[in-house]
Amino acid sequence: MANARLDIGAKVAIKKPQLNILIAFLQDSGYLTIGPRVRDNAVTYAPIDTLEDLPRGYDSEQERAHYRLIRADHQRYFDAAPGSDSWKKFLFPPRSRLFEACRENGRWRTNLPAEQVPQYAFIGVRPCDLAAIRVQDHVFMRQDFVDPIYKARREKILILAVSCTHPNSTCFCTSMGTGPKATSGFDLSLTELEDVFLVEVGSEAGSGALQSLELDHATAYRLQLAETALQKAERSIQRRIENIEAVPELLHNNLEHPLWDEVGSHCLSCTNCTQVCPTCFCWDVEDLDDLSGDKTRRERIWDSCFNPSYSYIAGGNTRPTTKSRYRQWLTHKVSTWINQFGESGCVGCGRCITWCPAKIDITADIKKFQEATA
Amino acid sequence: MKPSIPVPAAAHQEDYLLSPYWAEITEIVPETDDTTTFWLELTDKELRDSYKFAAGQFNMLYLPGYGEAALSISSDPERPERIGHTIRFVGNVTHAIRRLRVGQTLGLRGPFGTAWPIAAYQGSDVAIAAGGIGLAPLRPVIYHIINHRQDYGNVTILYGARTPSDLLYTSEYAEWEENDIRVMVTVDRADESWQGQVGVVPMLFYRCRFDDQKTVVFSCGPEIMMRFVVFEGLARRISTDRIYLSLERNMKCGQGFCGHCQYGPYFICKDGPVYRFDQLEPYFNLEDL
Amino acid sequence: MDPQNELVDALQAIPWFQELSDEHFQKICAITHLVRVDKDTTIFAEGEQDENLYIVLEGRVAIEIYSPVRGRIRIFTAEPLDVVGWSSVTPVVRQRTASARAVLDSRLAAIDGLALRQLCDDDCELGYKIMRRIANVVAARLMVTRLQLLDVFGHPEKD
Repeated sequence: MANARLDIGAKVAIKKPQLNILIAFLQDSGYLTIGPRVRDNAVTYAPIDTLEDLPRGYDSEQERAHYRLIRADHQRYFDAAPGSDSWKKFLFPPRSRLFEACRENGRWRTNLPAEQVPQYAFIGVRPCDLAAIRVQDHVFMRQDFVDPIYKARREKILILAVSCTHPNSTCFCTSMGTGPKATSGFDLSLTELEDVFLVEVGSEAGSGALQSLELDHATAYRLQLAETALQKAERSIQRRIENIEAVPELLHNNLEHPLWDEVGSHCLSCTNCTQVCPTCFCWDVEDLDDLSGDKTRRERIWDSCFNPSYSYIAGGNTRPTTKSRYRQWLTHKVSTWINQFGESGCVGCGRCITWCPAKIDITADIKKFQEATA
Repeated sequence: MKPSIPVPAAAHQEDYLLSPYWAEITEIVPETDDTTTFWLELTDKELRDSYKFAAGQFNMLYLPGYGEAALSISSDPERPERIGHTIRFVGNVTHAIRRLRVGQTLGLRGPFGTAWPIAAYQGSDVAIAAGGIGLAPLRPVIYHIINHRQDYGNVTILYGARTPSDLLYTSEYAEWEENDIRVMVTVDRADESWQGQVGVVPMLFYRCRFDDQKTVVFSCGPEIMMRFVVFEGLARRISTDRIYLSLERNMKCGQGFCGHCQYGPYFICKDGPVYRFDQLEPYFNLEDL
Repeated sequence: MDPQNELVDALQAIPWFQELSDEHFQKICAITHLVRVDKDTTIFAEGEQDENLYIVLEGRVAIEIYSPVRGRIRIFTAEPLDVVGWSSVTPVVRQRTASARAVLDSRLAAIDGLALRQLCDDDCELGYKIMRRIANVVAARLMVTRLQLLDVFGHPEKD
């Protein structure tokens, strides 16, 4: 028996096994359900079918250049904070075909790929990653140009967000105003309690997905538990960037500060940070032909401002040093991104801190600049 | 009031500005040892009729199997059915283009980028300071001025190249002068067969007079040269919002979202390549930006 | 026109000379004479002991250096109002280090360098003005030379 349609903003509770019914419903509706699962000792985002596929009972221990997935003594499904994966690999695939061209009778013709665009349901999107999707929306779908590859995937998505009750130590979403609670940009949003998921409806699609579930009440008690858990989560976040509003201008006005030599000297130009960052969008093109020379295809692949060839022009490289590339990355992420897109490119997810092998911490480096220019 | 840099709309509002249109080479005009102008016509008639560009803009020319190169359009914006690109052969793609013949086709995406705001300076004196291949994106401005000569005051071209054999468009200087445009040319060095000036483009500023209130400077060439052109302009009290430069960086998409051409907060393919100097001032002297 | 009037008219047309007092103008006038050179004529050659400081009034003068294989290389051209031979005011090397040759039919004002140096020693006020002017000339020339040295149009490496 279907439930009455819920309004946007309505809150209900579901017993945890109900999530299986939800996933099945989504799959029946044609969605490819993606969620966190454990693979190679880390949390990755991959297709899931049931709750059993989720990283139940895990925590992640994250620090500079340190990631461990550890078995904890709880039974919650969504505690483990994200690993190196983010949702960007689905909306902005690491490799996509732009076009094919073939030569017939001496003339070239282009064929645009007629691809099957999957319809994704993202299960378990953290608030920081929700913010990252919104940031990438503003990059890939703009007034002057819309990327058809991103758009085709983005318009089909259903997002089931999960508010963060157990942030890890590299998180700093609170400084960037993106968490730990999911507030908008989702179809459904969960907060995990011990026995139930509290669910908030974010859209018509979300409301529709709940139709065949057994719904419980979001009692005052449960709401209070959730609120307490989120407040505790917020207080537990150690890393901070103070005075974030002044940071863009601070960096912009200190592009020649000698401190860049210091902070840039640790960087290995390995590109890890840009790969794990959920908002990084730089890409390169690859032209691939067959031996006949009559067929070629052009593909788009992820690129990084740390790659040496990134800033190559005839005659040389305009950013030949690691230090200059580190400066480009940092100032773009938290300063010039705002000139370009009206908001910060950083969502405070902390992945770059966890996955930098040189132990570079973006919050610490910003703090160094703040102290050096005080 | 500062005129804003016009960004003309793309000729065609397709979803897919990531795949090229096709254009046929209709004429190949060697200019120097390492530079040639290729004249193109879009193969699709509808596109050919609707394609428009503004002076200063560029196309991404695509050679299947080799890749793309960002190339300034060097022809007359009022005759957009024939698109000219003056190409210097410096890398894989351009060397491959060099081997093409009339009748062969190239992919074309564009036009992209901001334009020289020449129409906003009617009544002004114009100084066009160019070095080497930098004259190519400025030639459309010269065509425009010739087409509307009465709209502009004194027009001076200050042009330099490495040696006399590297000068572009030498066969056109006489026509430009016939249109009341002063053409000053210099080379870095020469042998005794050269009767013209030997020196550098910034030096040419010493050899003419500019009204600092009425003059606008458009400059394109090696960045070092442009820097000195700016010095000379500022020394003659031309204000920073009356000096325009065209910059160059690594370009891949041409539309401001692959990230490669970033320069400070700017995407050179989208907010540039033409900039008003006051926009560049905070960044122009920074190393490795 | 009588040569003296022609000389005075020519010098008075030069902006820097207009800033001089009558007395200083006369002193320099007295050690200056006008020179006419036909196209392709050498004004002074490398190695010579020519001591004049020249100001181009009309035409174009090329500064050239000769090298055995490459022949005569033009490294600079002087236009009207440019100075040629400023080293006669700062005589470190006793000979000309480059040649000056007329590219077009030219007219120059030739100032006796030795006498000019003597003038500067005798009249420090005038000497200071002259040296300041020469410093500007050399500075501008240095800027041009540096840009030539940088070879900004040099062919970039192929990738």
